Amino acid sequence: MKMLRNIAESSLSIWAWLSTACVVAVLAIYSSFLFVRSYSSLKISLFFGNADPWLAFLGKVPVWDGIWPAVVGTVLLVIMSGIMAIPVGIMAGIYLSEYSSGLFCEIADSAIDLLASIPSIVMGLFGFTLILFLKKTAFPNANVGLLPAAFCLAILSLPYMVKTTKLALGNIDSDRRLTGLTLGFNKLQNIIHVLLPVSSREILNGIILTIGRSAEDTAVILLTGVVANAGIPTRMNDKFEAIPFFIYFTASEHKTVEELDKGFGAAIVLLCVAGLLFVLSKTIGKSVNKSTSV
Amino acid sequence: MSKSICAELQGINVSFGAKTVLSDINLKIAANSITVLVGRSGSGKTTFLRIFNRLNELFHGAVTTGQVIVNIGGKVFDIHNHVLEVEFLRRKVGMVFQNPNVLPSSIYANIAMPLKVVSGVHGSEIENRIESVLRQVQLWDEVKDRLKQPAVSLSGGQQQRLCLARSLSLEPEILLLDEPTASLDFKATLKIEELLIGLRESYSIIAVSHSLTQTFRIANQIIVLKDGKVTSVIDPYEFRDARSYESIFEEIF
Repeated sequence: MKMLRNIAESSLSIWAWLSTACVVAVLAIYSSFLFVRSYSSLKISLFFGNADPWLAFLGKVPVWDGIWPAVVGTVLLVIMSGIMAIPVGIMAGIYLSEYSSGLFCEIADSAIDLLASIPSIVMGLFGFTLILFLKKTAFPNANVGLLPAAFCLAILSLPYMVKTTKLALGNIDSDRRLTGLTLGFNKLQNIIHVLLPVSSREILNGIILTIGRSAEDTAVILLTGVVANAGIPTRMNDKFEAIPFFIYFTASEHKTVEELDKGFGAAIVLLCVAGLLFVLSKTIGKSVNKSTSV
Repeated sequence: MSKSICAELQGINVSFGAKTVLSDINLKIAANSITVLVGRSGSGKTTFLRIFNRLNELFHGAVTTGQVIVNIGGKVFDIHNHVLEVEFLRRKVGMVFQNPNVLPSSIYANIAMPLKVVSGVHGSEIENRIESVLRQVQLWDEVKDRLKQPAVSLSGGQQQRLCLARSLSLEPEILLLDEPTASLDFKATLKIEELLIGLRESYSIIAVSHSLTQTFRIANQIIVLKDGKVTSVIDPYEFRDARSYESIFEEIF
């Protein structure tokens, strides 16, 4: 009996170890494959094509044959949708965790779950329909472009922000929750000075998820304003390029191996852009945390 | 209410939903002394303690009936009367928990932040207040060179003294201590006990203790709780011989 249990225990731990090893191996194989395939294309011309890099960087000359406009497009999309989704998501999470209870809370909760399960292509269709509706009613000039795309991405990533904030606050243990209150804080002071700083790490993870979701999405922008060649957008309703769309487009339309390699190069760049945005949000999060806790 | 009384409970009942935790409590708590609550777990000690800073009402389904009269700044208040803001009450009736609940910020910020937020203290007054309360809990010499370090880097006993200092910085008159030494080792426990005996001169202390020996070391008044009722109020000076000590022990557990 004891031996059986020992065997069961050790096979369970071997299984756990193997599963972890699998995850690490997949990541390693995936990134080295990506790197090997894209190695030949990873140079300045991937970004700027034949244009002078410095002038193109400053936006003085157009880039015809590089992914620089797509990089700028993705960064703008992520920042704009983040500005829309993150504050609303955090506030909604705070409200659901700290202020609401009963039926309304349950209804809002299921609505958010529902929102999280909407496929992004459906969200894109929603955006497209919304633009058509606006065009026929209040705004005859409404058209696909950066702003509606960022808006749809914001709706798409909003539930992640709400859920992580709500969970993070909900996980704070009861003594911690009471700390500020026993010192004479009112409810709002306790949320601002104790609960939010305590859960800042989880909330930051929510921000990272939100950013990741907007950076990688292709389906939403496909129907709301991304095009293969638009240059750098200068106005809110300009059409734009984006890295995930470039990858998709290259993969389906490439004529030579070199072109496909460029797609792999763009994939590496997308990973780096997402990584940079994570670092940025972490730095901002840290400084916000400092200003509320001291 | 005479000056020697810091709080008086009249016909207090506390229930959470259908469960009655405390019933018909009538008591006077002496000022500038240490009152220790003893009783089995589940006898309502923590709930009893949380009557005084109205903390019970933060829990779902809590209902408190009866009157709680406290003496704050020489004035007498009914704590459920709306004249007294609950935030002010909680500053004047400070609380220390069983596990040190320092905030995940620096030693300095743990005291400075609440000071700024609730009592509007600013500038050099903050530094002065921090130094004086840290001296009061005998922590100053241990931390004066590392005030900017995270509070969680301190030992358990130091963290508990920091929590005490944080409460003291808000100039309370009554201190509620919920098994403040339960998570500490022997030496740290003695240090806290010694501190409490010293603080008794300026504060009225109401503590829960899990240890009878500790209770006899620090208490001026012992309240025995059993199944939500006060079964006896004991003056520890009446019981200095082993026999009566044992009989109490049997009565409680």
